[in-house]
Order: sequence, then C-alpha cells, then structure tokens
Amino acid sequence: MEKLIYRHNRITRATHWVNALALMILFMSGLMIFNAHPHLYWGSTSEPDKAFFSIGAVNQDGDLRGYVQLYGQQIDTTGFLGVQEGTFGPSARAFPSWLTVPGYYSLASSRRWHFFFGWLFTLNGLFYVLYNLAVGHLRKFFCTPADLAKIPAMIAYYLHMRKQSPQEGEYNPLQKLAYTSIFVIVTPLVLLSGMAMSPQLNVAFNWLPATFGGRQSARTVHFILAFGFLVFTFGHVFMVLTQGFFNNMRSMISGWYYEKHTARNDEQRRQVKNEFKPEELGPTAQKHETEAAAETMSKLKDDATVEFLPAKTAPAPPADSSAVEKKEKKDVETKP
Amino acid sequence: MSKLNRKFSRRNLLVGALQAMSALALSGCQRVFDGLSSNETVQSILESAEYGNRRVQRLLTRHTKLAQEFAEKDISPIFRPNGNPPPATTEYVADAAQQFKNWRLEVSGLVKQPARFSLAELKAMPSRTQITRHDCVEGWSVIGKWKGVRLQEIMDRVQPAPQAKYVVFRCMDTDSDGAHYYESIDLVDAAHPQTILAYELNDRPVPVENGAPLRLRVETQLGYKHAKYIQKIEFVSSYENIAAGKGGYWEDQGYEWYAGI
Repeated sequence: MEKLIYRHNRITRATHWVNALALMILFMSGLMIFNAHPHLYWGSTSEPDKAFFSIGAVNQDGDLRGYVQLYGQQIDTTGFLGVQEGTFGPSARAFPSWLTVPGYYSLASSRRWHFFFGWLFTLNGLFYVLYNLAVGHLRKFFCTPADLAKIPAMIAYYLHMRKQSPQEGEYNPLQKLAYTSIFVIVTPLVLLSGMAMSPQLNVAFNWLPATFGGRQSARTVHFILAFGFLVFTFGHVFMVLTQGFFNNMRSMISGWYYEKHTARNDEQRRQVKNEFKPEELGPTAQKHETEAAAETMSKLKDDATVEFLPAKTAPAPPADSSAVEKKEKKDVETKP
Repeated sequence: MSKLNRKFSRRNLLVGALQAMSALALSGCQRVFDGLSSNETVQSILESAEYGNRRVQRLLTRHTKLAQEFAEKDISPIFRPNGNPPPATTEYVADAAQQFKNWRLEVSGLVKQPARFSLAELKAMPSRTQITRHDCVEGWSVIGKWKGVRLQEIMDRVQPAPQAKYVVFRCMDTDSDGAHYYESIDLVDAAHPQTILAYELNDRPVPVENGAPLRLRVETQLGYKHAKYIQKIEFVSSYENIAAGKGGYWEDQGYEWYAGI
C-alpha cells in the first residue's frame, strides 16, 4: 500500500532549486576564472616553478598537446583538458568551453557570474539554514557521534551485507554525514577561502589568508572544495536516479511523494506527529498565523498525513508514476 | 517480438532520454550562457553584485586597518610584470636613460592648488616602505617591497575641492590599438595609509617593466587598479566622460571598477 505524503514544503523546494542553479553556475564560472591562470600553489605567492598542479598545452613537433601535471607527474589530456578541438582546429584552453560559463574566454564575464551567484548562494543558504533552525528541522539531519557509530552498519546495508538498515528517523547516518559535512565544513570553508582571495578583505581581516596558509593556498583550497561540491552533487543525483527518479523529482517540484505504507514508516510518522508542538514556533508565529500560514505550517510539520489536508490540494498523481513506484522493492526509501 | 520489447523498455527509454538530455544540456547550456553573457540586461543584473561587494567589504574594513605586510625573506625573486609593454615613445626611452630627469608628475583637476612634481621632489617628501602582496585578477600573487610617497601627502599639498570624488591616473603606456592606460580610485582608497605612489621596488628604482618612474600601489585592490607609468593625476567628480566611461582601461572592457575581490 502506498500513501501520498507532503514531503518538501515550498521553502525547501525553492531554496533547493536556487541552490542547484547557483552551484552549477558557480562551478562553471569558477572553471573559467581558473582558466585565466591554470596553476595551483601552496603558500602566499605563485612562483612560476612552484606550481604543484597545472593544466597546460605544449607544442610537440607542430602538434598541440594538452596535459595535466600533478607534482611532476604528467598525463596527456588532449581534447579534454589543456587543448580543446574547435571549429578552427585545436586550441590551448585549460577547461573546455562546454564546462565553463561563459563558454568563450572572458575572465571579466565569468567573474560577474561568479560574484552574483556567490551572493545568491550565500543568501539562499543562509535563509535555508535560519528557517530550518527556526522550525527545528535542522537537527533531524545533523550528524551526531551516535550517527557516526552507525556508519559501518549503514555501508554494510548498502552493500547488501546486512538486512536491517540502522536508520532511525527520516535520514540515515550516511545522509546525515554527507549533509552535515556540506553544511558545517565544505560550505563555510568554500566561502572563507573565496573571501581570503580578496585584497580588501585581506585589509579587513589579515588573519584570513594566513588561516589557509597564504592566499595561493586559499585559492587551492577553494578549487578543491569546488570539486567537493561536485562529488556531493554526483552522489546526490545518483541517489535520485536509483531511489525512484520520478517520485523524488515530483517531491522536489510539487512537494508530493509516494511513500510505502509499512509498519516502520507508520512508527516514524507517529514520532513526527508527537514531536510537533505548535508552541515551538514561538508566540509571534502563533499570534499572527493566518489561515494560509497555518496550513503551510501543518504541511511542514506534519509531513505524513495527507488525510488532514483538503483533498483538492493533493494533486492527482500522474498515471504512470504509481506503476513505477510499485516496482520499488526497497523497504526504506532514501532521500537523496 | 521480445527483442523489440527490450529495445523500447522503460529503462532504455529513460537512459536514452537522459543521454540525449545531457548531450543537449552540454551544447545547449553553453549557447544559453554565452547568449546571456552578452545580453545587456543580464549583464547589468550580474553587475549588481559589484555594489554588494563594495558596500559590504568597505563596511567590514576600518579605515585605519592595513593590508598584511611581509618580511624581507618573503619577497618574490621576480616581480612578474603584466599588461601593456612599456611605453615605446622616444621621449620615454630617452628620459628613462637619464633616470627620468625630465619627467614631471602633473596633479590637476578639482584641486585648489594644481602642481607639478619632479621625481627628486617626490623622493624628498616623507616616504613609506611596505612589503606587500600583489594579487592579479588572473589569480596569481607576488610579494614585493615598495617605497613611495603616500597619495594622502600629495592630496594635502594640492587640496582636492569638496566636489572631487575620484582620483584618475593617466598613464604613458598604450595597448596595441594606441589606447592609453588609465585608472581611477575613490577618495576612500586614495586616503588609505598604504596607498602610495611608488618609485622604488625591492630597494631599486622601479624597473621599466614594473611601471617606471612612478606607479600606484593601492593594496585594497587587485593588480589592474595599480596604474603604472603615471604621468598625470586628476581629481574629478565623475569618470563618465573619460574614454569609455567605466573608470579604467580594464573596466572599459567589462572588469569591475571595484576590484576589492
């Protein structure tokens, strides 16, 4: 038996997609900015012979070859990194144009994109965190030492070496670890390392570049963390694709999600219901709650019970989706 | 029959659709972003971030705070020159051979007392020496030791009028099209203690490739703001009527006027 539940509220959905767009543009415009000087260093300065990582092009007997060099080890990457095949033949370019914003070489334009979406990413993320702190959602996926202890069991479960998932609550330990490290480690560090490259902030906060071991180290950290986001995104998209693509996509677009009706899910739902206390929202929220707000709040908190909501707010499920979902064999559905 | 069915299975359809989508996304994305990048409305929206950067970063910076200064041992072996080649006029080349004996710095515009200074006169003024990091917009950094006269010192002498808002630096170097380099900073950056007109790099007169005889050091900003080969300093209320009107050579080509990040 399956139940349609309201899983993601409007704020979660909106901030999710703004975040997705911002991250994509930040990553791609960042690669274009990197193309202006495709070398990485440790320390304060960029002495030409001290780069530990480079993407470059070299002319070999009239043949332009692209390469990636890491600590003296060099591999040929012609056609992808260093040298790109274009309409007018091969040309030197660290990251290819299909990976950068804009696709043509423009440091000025990529910086404009990067800073605008940097602000959007920051403000959107700040709004998301503050809102979820206020409604108490954040602690549901905050990784505690107890969760860390369950990680081997979770991995074993994923590898089919264990029948029972160690998951308690809405998120499993691996999800909690992934989300918590993104929120507490990767995002703050990517912002700080970005700010550490700013000359004005070097004046305001002398300690900032020094914290990373110098401005060039900060640049390197910023670059590595960008790929940390990429790894996270790949993992996230992989989970969406494997854990019910249509169902997950629908829940992040419309909010509605088909959930298996199992004893375990029922138990979770009961817990969620019992946890919900309107007074947690604070006196102002109670006082000024309009009807619409009340409805949103009940959707928010009571993510389980479609039966409490007016029937007309539940959209008719697309004809094919239930068929897809019935094929799902897993007992525990995992949120990406 | 069963073969055909397998071909059109949901999984194959989904995989096919995803492959088509990603191929489309890759080529389509580029076209979309390239189109947006050259769209004026989009550009002006993106440019709004510059305002945020300037306001927030300035708010975070106390006026008396200094950029990080380094030790002698941190100085880079080579101070990488960048930008236009040195001026190639016979006048500049001849003067460079005579340690810029004939060169004069002209200070004019919205000031009470316009003035001209020789290199010797500038060197006779109180000086400041600083070992600072130079950050290029491209991403690289070098550390150099600079000696020069504070721009504040010059301002004290020429006394900018109340309506003066920006300091414009007119330079002797030109690009391949013959356009002269120029830059502008506002009075906040001009008054910063580390904003100097430098005549020495690493205890020697500023080399020709680094902007001889005089170049700007404005440590709150990226490298392209640090005008080299300065000939003239102008105090203005607006830079709109200079060149393409964006306040500098690189600004006219799309770079931010506020280069604090």
